[in-house]
Amino acid sequence: MKKTIALLSSALLASAAFAGCGSGVKANTVHSVDDLKGKSIGTQLGTTGYIFAADVEDAKVEAYNKGADAIQALKQGKLDAVIIDSEPAKVFVSKNDDLQILSDPFAVEEYSVAYKKGNDELGKKLDDAISKLKGDGTLDAITAHWVGDDADNVPYEDKNSDVSNGTLVMATNAEFPPYESMSGSNIVGIDVDIMNAVCDELGMELKIENMQFDSIIAAVDSGKADVGVAGISVTPDREKNVSFTQGYATTTQVIVTRKD
Amino acid sequence: MNEFLQKLYDTFIYDDRWKYLTNGLKTTLVITFFAVIIGMLLGFIVAIIRATHDKTGKFPILNFLAKVYLTVIRGTPVMVQLLIIYYVIFASVDINKVLVGVLAFGFNSGAYVAEIVRSGIMSIDNGQFEAGTSLGMNYTKTMFYIVMPQAFKNVLPALANECIVLLKETSVAGYIALEDLTKGGDIIRSLTYEAFLPLIAVALIYLVMVVTLSSLVTRLERRLAKSDRG
Repeated sequence: MKKTIALLSSALLASAAFAGCGSGVKANTVHSVDDLKGKSIGTQLGTTGYIFAADVEDAKVEAYNKGADAIQALKQGKLDAVIIDSEPAKVFVSKNDDLQILSDPFAVEEYSVAYKKGNDELGKKLDDAISKLKGDGTLDAITAHWVGDDADNVPYEDKNSDVSNGTLVMATNAEFPPYESMSGSNIVGIDVDIMNAVCDELGMELKIENMQFDSIIAAVDSGKADVGVAGISVTPDREKNVSFTQGYATTTQVIVTRKD
Repeated sequence: MNEFLQKLYDTFIYDDRWKYLTNGLKTTLVITFFAVIIGMLLGFIVAIIRATHDKTGKFPILNFLAKVYLTVIRGTPVMVQLLIIYYVIFASVDINKVLVGVLAFGFNSGAYVAEIVRSGIMSIDNGQFEAGTSLGMNYTKTMFYIVMPQAFKNVLPALANECIVLLKETSVAGYIALEDLTKGGDIIRSLTYEAFLPLIAVALIYLVMVVTLSSLVTRLERRLAKSDRG
């Protein structure tokens, strides 16, 4: 027993000695979109940020499994910039004093709900529900709970307990605050609230499946999920595999860098 | 059929997407090759230290360090080790990711190789040591000329197995955005949203590599068996 403790404690000491070597991250060199040329850019695998970054001249584009991993690498000076959606970028920057968002937006796009090709009945219902929620201000009210200075992070409350029309399975990637993230064992955020509101309209129960972002389209395509809602913007390649509703939120791709 | 050809085109030909796989394969091979070298060197050194300590009681400090190494490496998943090396040990250093992969998988493999080789050394009858000593050889000579050659032959299948495991384990390298073979397939998958072709292609490439590796080892085993009597 004593031996085991000695072994473990020396292991801890050894790892502690390793950690924290080196500081002094290199200075920021990206101040505008043009500066991205030839730089190393971090993105999240499967996002439009990756697709856009791949078009930047001579840039070395690295695809991380999570946006947060790319941010971590940026903080440590392993990347020159990260291209990511504006809302998650704001959350990351608010939690990291050493990071900033460049004021030049990289691209503007709209988030939509993905559903299986050919399932026009569901598509029509979703579109109608989104139109109605846009019209009566529910979408704006939901967004206000999660974005901006007055955000209180209060989740949407079910208004309608009628679930006679069955279950709607939503595929998402809960690593994308404020649209979706983990809070304890629950997934919360704008997308979750919007889909809860949509399900209220449809008289369905929402069931959320958490998966890797690049698996969501495949999950919808193969019928493992009814809808994919994860801050997904419409691209031609994605439209080959799934159908999209109208946009429910406008967003930009922004460039995150270290502070000067 | 046309639809399948279209998918084949989208997955591999369009925009030179097959390059994700060939470049990834190159990275996977480079990482595996150097990780195997580090793993074997480290493994043999640690095994000899541990076996010598068990047999003669020499090197108490080195033996203790070796034990710490084995406990830590075998007690934690390789993916966590990879992330620790990238984000903790080399924090705030812009280090070559292939090097991170080589170090992580090399150190990891070393621990397993060490135990395999040690079991090989311990499997050689003590009479062989005594025979060496009675011929006037010292411990080191007995170890290298009598014990190790026999031990190596005994553990060769297990070592080959370790190499195969290592080759396949490198597929977690994608977690630090290292573009290995698996990540190459993942990138194609994320561009086409078509899972079947890239995943099957990646699986086939791994399979071919493992089968080639196994057949090479079989040949080596046969070659070494020639010196066996009877």
